[in-house]
Amino acid sequence: MTHQTHLFHMVNPSPWPIMGAMAAMMLTVGLVLWFHCNLNLILFLGLISTLLIMFQWWRDIVRESTYLGHHTPPVQKGLRYGMILFITSEVFFFLGFFWAFYHSSLAPTPELGGQWPPTGITTLDPFEVPLLNTAVLLASGVTVTWAHHSLMEANRASAIHALILTIILGLYFTALQAMEYYEAPFTIADSSYGSTFFVATGFHGLHVIIGSTFLMTCLYRQTMHHFTSNHHFGFEAAAWYWHFVDVVWLFLYISIYWWGS
Amino acid sequence: MLQGAKMLRSLLTLRQTSQRTINTTSCRQFKNRVPEKQKLFQEEDGLPVHLKGGVTDHLLYRTTMAVTVFGTIYAVYELFVAGMPKKQK
Repeated sequence: MTHQTHLFHMVNPSPWPIMGAMAAMMLTVGLVLWFHCNLNLILFLGLISTLLIMFQWWRDIVRESTYLGHHTPPVQKGLRYGMILFITSEVFFFLGFFWAFYHSSLAPTPELGGQWPPTGITTLDPFEVPLLNTAVLLASGVTVTWAHHSLMEANRASAIHALILTIILGLYFTALQAMEYYEAPFTIADSSYGSTFFVATGFHGLHVIIGSTFLMTCLYRQTMHHFTSNHHFGFEAAAWYWHFVDVVWLFLYISIYWWGS
Repeated sequence: MLQGAKMLRSLLTLRQTSQRTINTTSCRQFKNRVPEKQKLFQEEDGLPVHLKGGVTDHLLYRTTMAVTVFGTIYAVYELFVAGMPKKQK
């Protein structure tokens, strides 16, 4: 019987990476065919396969860590580096949209009436729902930190309560933002104001939904006794991602909602 | 009077029983099953981790593979069709 004599993780051959790549192709080609050829089956199949693959791939990672013990300290270190690098790449993603916003708003063209906000645009009052949204996300940052401390102190009930609160706050933000989108007096087609507003806040909203889903997965794992007081990297990764989402909102609020109004 | 006392006693017993039931039910729902899972997944059966959970794993894998392979082939086909010149009238 052979056993490894090192601390690194030699992963079993897995179908998910190659299938994930095929699903990504289906998403991109599906979008193109939907836009230009009125075909939506491939996009639909792409979405289904992406969801199935994500579920199974992450399920396997939980099995490898919690059930098989492969996440030794060096392996966890690599995962930490990976999550930090991923979040950094997301920072650059949002930086692009902020660049677009400042490009349009710092030197407004004659077509916009030479002003920002452009002529005819009724902006949202930054001290109404957007301010509430800021409070909601800041509060969720507190509750997720409470959850982490509870986890580290092996306080099971407190960790579950704090996680539930964090998720509720995240869902509340999403609901408020959806209502704002519905009631907004301008659309994405309303000059560069509309496009910078909805693309930047829209991608942020998508990240809130992704972060909330990640936290919900952590809640499930916590109730199933997967986390220990000194080994719960999945939760830490979710908390890092959540703080990132919060910080992006703060920049959005200051730049687009407040300065831009 | 005796009827009233009997009813009150049965009501109190019902309350105690339901409390006890709720307590044990929630404890049972969140019982730590990680050791059982660890035993299942550490079995030396030569199966890779994505198929080691049982029949559901196999079904889910086959369904995913079917959707992905079909979708990829269909996507390439539609791209080919979209790339062909349209028939001139």
